Amino acid sequence: MKRIKLLLVISVLVLALGIASLGVMAADKPPVVIGLQGPITGPYAVEGEMAKQSVEIAAQLINEKGGILGGRMIEIRIADDACQPKAGALAAMKLITQKDVVAAIQTYGSFVVLPASDVYEKFKKVNIAYGATVTDLTERGLKYFFRTCGRTDTQAKFFAEKVVPYFNAKKIAIMNNNTSFSVGLAEESREALQSRVDAGEVEIVYFDAINPEETDFTVPLTKLRETNPDVFYYTGHFPEAGLIIRQAREIGIKAIFVGGDAVVNQDFINIAGIEYAKGVYQTQEALIEFFNHPEAMAFKEAYKAKYNTIPTSPWSVYAADALCVLAEAIDKSGSTDSDIIADYLRNKMEEFPSITGPVGFDEIGDRVGSSSHLYVVNDDGSSSLIDTE
Amino acid sequence: MKIILEQLLNGLTIGSFYALIALGYSMVYGVMKLINFAHGDLFALGSYLGFTLLVSGSAYATVTFGIWGGMIAAMLIAAIGIGIAGTLIERIAYRPIYPAGRLPAVVSALGASIVIQNGIMVVWGPRPQAYSSQVVPSVMLNIGGIKITLMQIVVLIVSFILMGLLFYIIQKTTFGAAIRACALDRSTAALMGINIETVIFFIFALGPALGGMAGVMVGMYYRKISFVMGWNYGLKAFTATILGGIGNIPGAMLGGLLLGILEMLGSVYISTAYKDVFVFLILILVLIFRPTGLLGEKIAEKV
Repeated sequence: MKRIKLLLVISVLVLALGIASLGVMAADKPPVVIGLQGPITGPYAVEGEMAKQSVEIAAQLINEKGGILGGRMIEIRIADDACQPKAGALAAMKLITQKDVVAAIQTYGSFVVLPASDVYEKFKKVNIAYGATVTDLTERGLKYFFRTCGRTDTQAKFFAEKVVPYFNAKKIAIMNNNTSFSVGLAEESREALQSRVDAGEVEIVYFDAINPEETDFTVPLTKLRETNPDVFYYTGHFPEAGLIIRQAREIGIKAIFVGGDAVVNQDFINIAGIEYAKGVYQTQEALIEFFNHPEAMAFKEAYKAKYNTIPTSPWSVYAADALCVLAEAIDKSGSTDSDIIADYLRNKMEEFPSITGPVGFDEIGDRVGSSSHLYVVNDDGSSSLIDTE
Repeated sequence: MKIILEQLLNGLTIGSFYALIALGYSMVYGVMKLINFAHGDLFALGSYLGFTLLVSGSAYATVTFGIWGGMIAAMLIAAIGIGIAGTLIERIAYRPIYPAGRLPAVVSALGASIVIQNGIMVVWGPRPQAYSSQVVPSVMLNIGGIKITLMQIVVLIVSFILMGLLFYIIQKTTFGAAIRACALDRSTAALMGINIETVIFFIFALGPALGGMAGVMVGMYYRKISFVMGWNYGLKAFTATILGGIGNIPGAMLGGLLLGILEMLGSVYISTAYKDVFVFLILILVLIFRPTGLLGEKIAEKV
């Protein structure tokens, strides 16, 4: 009996020592630090929170497989930009000045990405945007800037060429919220519709902007109602979109409501109330819940295990994507040097199997082969994919 | 014609919120010559207080008092809560630095604003919250072709009752006379036996209480509340105060309603994107020709 006890004690000790030495071994190799700049506070904090969770899950999955560069763990360092342009540049500086930050994933909102990417460029840090679709962002000849999300012109074209014919709409109302993303999507949609407008097939009956910080949109909506549109395309963000759909329905706008890619999420449904949110359409990039390939399933499983849900916004998953491609680039190129990573991302990475499907980048840093889809909100608040072909 | 009437009602609804909040700015400025920048955030705090009262405990207040009783209870409790918060802010953020002059007090007000805003974020979270539909009646009315919601009528009536009540207190009661005397000249008022402390306590309770009630109404009417909402409403209400004449109670009411209607006009006849440009253009014009605002009285420069 005594002997067994002794044996037990010894084996426990040995085990403990073994684990401790493992710990020491892991500590021997410094972690690879990747920055995440996002709106942790501010009106879009829900996007920041989700991005943080998604990136941490992606890092956890890579670390569980043994990390990168021969056993180095990935560590995420957060910088909050509150979704403000000024704070965005400061957050970028904050990450850059920390010497061990290798590269950055940055942020939600094109108007924040714009100044921040200039800062990263100046200090030669690879930065991958996850929620910035404004077309011009990649057209500025930046060397270290990439994005895992699509572009607004793709989405605008999708709206004009697929969504409008799908609903057989003749009169279109377009409203934006005066942010660079929203104005961009609205204007590009108008341009994409122009040829059909010239041919007299469709008519843009309303085109205006609202101020997203306000809460009362009955005045512009009453004006919009009088133009009697078939389709009402709102290209802004979810906090005010929830108010807009409810106020629009209350004053009697019957038009089909189509939101841009920042309109529908859980907060939108809470604010609008499900009675108004159901039947709302959105032009959106591919949503994670409709992916079935192994990388997506592994991600969804790990996320669900920790947070009991899956990310409802596509952007946070693009942030996780950005982490995966950065890890891949650092691992395969065997370097943490910005130029080597940027070169690998631009020229050597092709169809890397990531969470949202194969990722590769073109000459200017845009993701190759991103696409838009039409979704509708169901009665229970979930979304369904609509076949527009 | 019907459309314009409908739009006028829409503009008046927005304006009555501005007016209720503007009253708080104007009262405090009248007596203290201090712009209480925390006022907009107290308004937001009122919204959240009402949210907690109405939505928490599976809408306990609504279940107990009925839908209207719950709304009244939420507004009264928010008014009391925000009144207390207002006096607390005066104690903590303003009173210790009165001797230092007016400028430090303004900076302290901005600080208080940041503290409240972030406090709300810490307590209630950064996501926008929504008053659930079961606690607010959702009835559409069609009066002679004019589409209006029941809540819109409620908001308009309650705002006008509150404004009338305040007007009565300030203009017709002895205590109101004391407040007006303090606004004219505080040291002389003190010499006449007016208890300045009580007056200050009263205005820092009453102004925020009105703001808190406006906050609950904004929550009930629009459903969406967010912790940053105080900034935009505060800015607009402050503009309304300037437009009507700062320190003048009827001026704040007029300024608020007028601002709502001006915004509506700009939105309808120019473009919603440029309505603020239109509104501030009018404001600049008013200030060029009447620097003290529409109803503001000339303030004699003290030497």
